[in-house]
Amino acid sequence: MISPTSPTSPVPPPVPVDTHPNRASDTNPPGPDRIPDPDRLAPEDAYFAHSLSRVRSVPLNYEDGLRSLRAADSGVATLLPPRSNLNDVTRKDVRKIGPAGSRRRRKGVWKKLLWVKQSYPDNYTDTETFLDHLQRNPRVRPYDFWPLVADSTVIVQHVCSVVIFICCFVGIVQDRVSPVSIVCWGSVGTAIGWILWDNWIWEEQTELARNLVGVKGGDDESSSSSVTSAPHPSGHDPQSTGLKADTIHGLGLSMSPSAHHKEDVSHLTSDEPGAFYGIADPASHSAASFLSPSTRVPHADVPVIERASLFSSRNRQRLSTVKSAFLIYFSLLGLSPILKSLTKSTASDSIWALSCWLLIMNIFSFDYGSGEGAGDTTKFPASLSTNAAVMASTVLASRLPSTTHVFSLMLFSMEVFGLFPIFRRQLRQKSWTGHVLLTLALVMIAGGAVGTTLGGGWGSAVIGSFLGSLLTAFAMGGCSWWLISLQKYKNVVIGPWDPARPIIRRHWN
Amino acid sequence: MPYNIAMVSDFFFPQSGGIESHIYQLSSKLIDRGHKVIIITHAYKGRTGVRYLTNGLKIYHVPFFVIYRETTFPTVFSFFPIFRNIVIREQIEIVHGHASLSSFCGEAILHARTMGLRTVFTDHSLFGFADAASILTNKLLKFTLSDVDHAICVSHTCKENTVLRASLDPLMVSVIPNAVVAENFRPLSNDSRAADQGAMSPVDQRPQPAPIGPDDTITIVVISRLFYNKGTDLLIAAIPRILALNPNTRFIIAGSGPKAIDLEQMLERNVLQDKVEMLGSVRHEEVRDVMVRGHIYLHPSLTEAFGTVIVEAASCGLYVVCTRVGGIPEVLPQHMTTFAKPEEDDLVVATSKAIAALRSNKVRTDRFHDQVKMMYSWRDVAERTERVYKGITGDISPEEFYGSYPGQGWEVSGDRVRSFALIDRLKRYYGCGVWAGKLFCFCVVIDFLIYVFLEMWFPRANIDIARSWPRKPPADKSHSSNGGRRDQ
Repeated sequence: MISPTSPTSPVPPPVPVDTHPNRASDTNPPGPDRIPDPDRLAPEDAYFAHSLSRVRSVPLNYEDGLRSLRAADSGVATLLPPRSNLNDVTRKDVRKIGPAGSRRRRKGVWKKLLWVKQSYPDNYTDTETFLDHLQRNPRVRPYDFWPLVADSTVIVQHVCSVVIFICCFVGIVQDRVSPVSIVCWGSVGTAIGWILWDNWIWEEQTELARNLVGVKGGDDESSSSSVTSAPHPSGHDPQSTGLKADTIHGLGLSMSPSAHHKEDVSHLTSDEPGAFYGIADPASHSAASFLSPSTRVPHADVPVIERASLFSSRNRQRLSTVKSAFLIYFSLLGLSPILKSLTKSTASDSIWALSCWLLIMNIFSFDYGSGEGAGDTTKFPASLSTNAAVMASTVLASRLPSTTHVFSLMLFSMEVFGLFPIFRRQLRQKSWTGHVLLTLALVMIAGGAVGTTLGGGWGSAVIGSFLGSLLTAFAMGGCSWWLISLQKYKNVVIGPWDPARPIIRRHWN
Repeated sequence: MPYNIAMVSDFFFPQSGGIESHIYQLSSKLIDRGHKVIIITHAYKGRTGVRYLTNGLKIYHVPFFVIYRETTFPTVFSFFPIFRNIVIREQIEIVHGHASLSSFCGEAILHARTMGLRTVFTDHSLFGFADAASILTNKLLKFTLSDVDHAICVSHTCKENTVLRASLDPLMVSVIPNAVVAENFRPLSNDSRAADQGAMSPVDQRPQPAPIGPDDTITIVVISRLFYNKGTDLLIAAIPRILALNPNTRFIIAGSGPKAIDLEQMLERNVLQDKVEMLGSVRHEEVRDVMVRGHIYLHPSLTEAFGTVIVEAASCGLYVVCTRVGGIPEVLPQHMTTFAKPEEDDLVVATSKAIAALRSNKVRTDRFHDQVKMMYSWRDVAERTERVYKGITGDISPEEFYGSYPGQGWEVSGDRVRSFALIDRLKRYYGCGVWAGKLFCFCVVIDFLIYVFLEMWFPRANIDIARSWPRKPPADKSHSSNGGRRDQ
């Protein structure tokens, strides 16, 4: 084995030395001018004894080789440090490398190069360098059971809400449930959910504003500590006007981009207000952009005004929400007669099949992510999922007898497929207990709904919800266990043949 | 001893490209060595029937349905009757398929094995293992290569890739690089005298060409199809920064493709039209004329099995800056290249280093042509391919061909000399996978039945034997200059 592999060589040399006589006697240190390896196969990655892959049998049963490697518990396997014995070649002039150059020993060192004429046959396979850049499962992340089960609740929630929707539709079609009652319950639930959601958003914003105000209050206090009564600029103090101007200026500064920052700091006599400005500035700036534009106007007593403006902006948002709710409501009301007769000429069988496929599509393309790191990549499938659900409910609604039915079902589907996921996502971020409780409730309601649909009566509902919960629990555990047990078949092979991923700094100027 | 060889691939002239010229050059050099070579490809628009190229190279353009980018529709069996006819007519002994994406090649290897012929496969490209397309392609390759006698790859990286993809015995895979016709890629200063100078001309006695001054313009040439996998995004990001860092630098970009529009947008946004010249696509024979206008060849590709173009550039006397991907690090010696990671920053740094090296006149680019000429020649490729033919036909013993490396773990299998018995073939195919193995066996059995049927229905005796092109005496050893045929 060559010398530079010694840091990683608890590995016994797998090849008899006489096959590679010059390897051991290669005295050249790895000079800076040797050919280094591709970056993504850098030696800092984990190494593993390559002897396993070297000694495997010749037909190179690929899966077997991998399994043996995996059994040896190697995340990354068979990665050797770069070859080091190349610089004696590269220093040589090309003219010397011919038959004459390599005749110093009959079997010189085999090099993984094409431009050198070597004394080895073309099908010579060097046991040391062959496949030495192969990486297996380099980015594998083992799963744990309970986190996996916890994560699967998101899927369970969505499947349950779809099941509930279907059961409601079946109930409406079979005239067991009044569509108005369903839509009323749905709307009440939606309203409660919206109030909760609104509260959370409001809390978040006030929290943010409080942080901001806290910083700014400290700012005001400290800047006025040198002089008196800055918060009540009554003009008694000889310096108060100047200070007031200062304060206003400072606040104006904190609302505006920090272009005048230095200038203002230089205005101040003492150091610590300047320091405070420096701290307060970015936070207030971000808050200013976060809040409504009205807060950008400089005011003397900021906290009150800000809270009020926050409040008004909140109200404005609520107002717009209500407006859009009414818009949807009335447009649905107007569309209902059209939707009712939309698929008159289509057989019911096709409708069942179509809606079935659409709902399956909805379940499979739903955005189950937490929405935190979700960039624009998840936008498309999410919209696909919602569209599929809305289309499914549209074709289902067209089977219903009256306009009221159609309207109710459509409104209910909007609530279930459009608004409920937003609430669920927020709830999951907000409180884990709430999330678990909601999951439980959904599972039981869905089970009960299925039971009622199939059997009818309260007894079957109870049995259904019990069986449903049991079944769901088993499915969650079983699927998680299955996924974990499937991990041993994971086999990602990465090597120099893969297209490199270019690293480009985007700088559009 | 001379062989009758059929090269089979979807890709051949009139389409131009690396595989096409590889097949042509290899065939013509094999003919020079006394073999008989025919090429079987599908019919191109305006190119049907049987054609002869220079030197008696016979091309069969088989009419076939083309689906995508000159690749024929994989029908598995429908090619068999006409293939059998051609093979019998031309008395073929070895079938040599090229390119793993060519379904013609895969089918021909299957039928050839059924007919009891030796087969060789040359892989020209790299494939990953991750995406669905690769998985499908790899399965097909496994089908093709389960029963092949020998495989040839163009670089060691390519060999590793092929061995993994097709689960081959590594000793059944040879590495034979591509080559260049060095005469077609002469630097400007060499134009006049290269013809009459031998390969071993004393390069040191040559006067040093005019050195590049600190203020002289350095021209960077890029010739590539403008696709994502050719690294055009890297190029787009790097060009403005290279030009900003290095005054008196110009770019010449030849090639077309879907990324051309991005490149032009970049030029307009940075107002670089006077520093970057876009030539559009150039024909292969014009490539040299573009290359000799520059000093540095920039090759930002993201994946490359061999990278013939950087050899061509070095042969034209250009200093090469390229990304260290695929088989590229094996191709050229250190003093001709500067390697970069496939990252924008590193590419800029490497190019700037190369420019600095050229400005300080440390790089003797005037010697590159002769050096490349010694490294790569089609003559050499043909010789090495001939050794593969000898090995699989048994003209050199298996021990000599496959070598014996005791104690290295490779010598376990005795299956390297592939027998033609149907049961042995089925065994090999059965190991391809749980479902795929059975499917492949099914295909092989049907193929065999078709062969039996054809033998009965269209007996061999009824097929005329084509007269061979009158053979020249084999090229003798004293014929030293590479590709000398062109100069005669």
